Amino acid sequence: MRRGFLVSLVLVSSLAIFGQTPAKAPAKNWTAPKTPWGDPDLQGMWPGNMGVPMQRPEALGTRATLTDAEFAQKEAQAKRQAEADSQSTVASDSRPGIGPPSYWTERGTPTRQTSLIVDPPNGRLPALTAEEQRLRKEARGGKGFPGEWKGEAETYADLNIYYRCITRGALGSIIPVVYNNGNQILQMPGYVVFRNEMIHETRVIPLDGRPHVSQNIRLYMGDSRGHWEGNTLVVETTNFTDSDAIGSNGAGYPGDPGHHSADLRLTERFTRVDANTLNYEATIDDPKTWTKPWTILIPLTRNDHYQLLEYACHEGNIAMGDILSGARAEEISKKDSK
Amino acid sequence: MRTALAIVILAVAPAWAHHAFQAEFDDKKPVKLTGKVTEMEWINPHAWIHIDVTGPDGKVTNWMVECGSPNIMLRRGFSKRSLEVGTELTIQGYQAKNGQNKANGSNVTFQDGKKLFVGGSNPDIPEDQK
Amino acid sequence: MQNLKKTIIAAVFPVVAMAQTAAYRAPRAADGHADLGGIWQAINSANWDLEDHSAQPGTMWQTGSIGAEPAGQSVVEGGSIPYKPEKLAKKKDNFANRRTNDPEAKCYMPGVPRGNYMPYPFQIVQSPKGILLVYEFASANRFVNMGKPEEAGSDTWMGTNNGHWEGDTLVIDVTGLNGLAWFDRAGDFASNQLHVVERYTRVDPYHITYEATIEDPSVFTKPWKISMPLYKVVDKNAQLLDFKCVEFSEELLYGQFKKQTSSTK
Repeated sequence: MRRGFLVSLVLVSSLAIFGQTPAKAPAKNWTAPKTPWGDPDLQGMWPGNMGVPMQRPEALGTRATLTDAEFAQKEAQAKRQAEADSQSTVASDSRPGIGPPSYWTERGTPTRQTSLIVDPPNGRLPALTAEEQRLRKEARGGKGFPGEWKGEAETYADLNIYYRCITRGALGSIIPVVYNNGNQILQMPGYVVFRNEMIHETRVIPLDGRPHVSQNIRLYMGDSRGHWEGNTLVVETTNFTDSDAIGSNGAGYPGDPGHHSADLRLTERFTRVDANTLNYEATIDDPKTWTKPWTILIPLTRNDHYQLLEYACHEGNIAMGDILSGARAEEISKKDSK
Repeated sequence: MRTALAIVILAVAPAWAHHAFQAEFDDKKPVKLTGKVTEMEWINPHAWIHIDVTGPDGKVTNWMVECGSPNIMLRRGFSKRSLEVGTELTIQGYQAKNGQNKANGSNVTFQDGKKLFVGGSNPDIPEDQK
Repeated sequence: MQNLKKTIIAAVFPVVAMAQTAAYRAPRAADGHADLGGIWQAINSANWDLEDHSAQPGTMWQTGSIGAEPAGQSVVEGGSIPYKPEKLAKKKDNFANRRTNDPEAKCYMPGVPRGNYMPYPFQIVQSPKGILLVYEFASANRFVNMGKPEEAGSDTWMGTNNGHWEGDTLVIDVTGLNGLAWFDRAGDFASNQLHVVERYTRVDPYHITYEATIEDPSVFTKPWKISMPLYKVVDKNAQLLDFKCVEFSEELLYGQFKKQTSSTK
């Protein structure tokens, strides 16, 4: 038992030394391909793979990867879920659920990564600044920022910008969720183009060193500028709005509206480490919101058969009208029952 | 090591990628609807199945049933032709809070209990529909 | 010496000199074809009305002449759109209700061909892996598959786009359109049987000739064609900015469902 423990300790430590992250290093004997005009070639379909939480459970401490035993359990759980999703007949004792049928998902394959956040070393968000804590209490006359559903629906602005089909933001559009994690990269001389399926975003990123647009102009996906550092595409994005939010849907997480300031500086690094793996790393630097910058890692696997389909969100957003009119109906029935 | 095996579950709850369903549907109003498909809307963020439901009094009402994002089904090989008008379906879900003839479709099945859209990338019309 | 010779020839044979510069050959893009890459925009009032139109009031007198419709000449070959007679009533109805019913007002994606002549720029991304059209309006985009044509799995706002080259002309065959977009603010419309074939030809450094053949047997008596120049946006540091217009349309779409405050009771 003790020897086994020591061996595991050594393995975990070597993983930690190899990189504080579970990222793959560039494969040996593999030359990064170039586009015809000589830029590193990142083109292809790189759909996201769900299953890694944003923040690491505190009990895992500074462990960036799961142990074999933990991973085996995660795999078994995924297998059970996939079996449940693929059952072709309804169980006789089934009761209605509140969501759609569970097989309308693309759950992805389990990996050993313990959290998307790889820095700080505990895999958790740094503390909020005092100012941000105050803002989150006082925004919208004390209602706070709209994040996950809280039961408020007086007007459309009470719902978050994802429910309203406005955007998921630059980070939110790539953090994998339960479906539609399509990401496409196209290149032409002087540009890299990053396209996300949900909600049909495209960033056309110039590489010619031109300055950002003026600070007086704001964009929901920010304003991106790229350059190469060796085989890594480095993209600096600024000029965010004050309505953006971090989170898998740009709408935060349960209990956390994910709001950040318009002064956020996002630095993304795209590195292709072998034919089928692209490491996406992003550092979020917003001293008005978080006391320290933090970094996430999303390894992306190529799948050129993945069909990135139109996600016309606002055009089909029947739920918005239903949520608001449902709240009005509830108000009436509450009044009537008094 | 023993305690490490008391695994910290890293499973991510299948947080539905779009609207909180509780915002739209009333979990105190379960419905079970049986009827014939009049239209299948392959739209985002949710696909909608429209069905004509005949009540015990013989009156026909049209209901809309909310499903998931169609992109998933399209990538699995289903298409806009995969659900024919006239197909008989049974739907279990909850009614919309606003009282309209809308429900979420947590279970959508054919008459024989087979689930709609489960069945791999080359769906056949189910035996009882041929 | 060669330059002097050329100058003499050009002076003595001006027609020959002109002919040598008349046939424009676009530079080659990374995919080996005529380069259509860049930011483009139409300068006409086709988005108001594809057919001939005089200047006329807009839908809201409260904005004065801002929001009124400018005059414009038809971009339709032959002048008018060949509606089936029974479909003209729907066009009239669309026009009468355009303030609330124009999908542009609701910030819905503009469809094909309307996206190409809205008063917002769009960018053509020409990569070796395919062509992407990126629209500033509503962040719409459409990917043009340049390989073996693919069938539409479902109907969408921006269609299923299959492209190929005919010499230096990009031809895009668009199917799988949902028929919910309008062609303009005048209520011109089609159905989900709409089929559009576009042709893009760069005729000089600053212009693409854009043509689109439109057919929909349920709405029109025959196919019809529009054509117009697209102008290259050459402003310094030109780029697409945000026109994420969902927020501008929410009061129109959802205002009726808001909680009424005591001041509005």
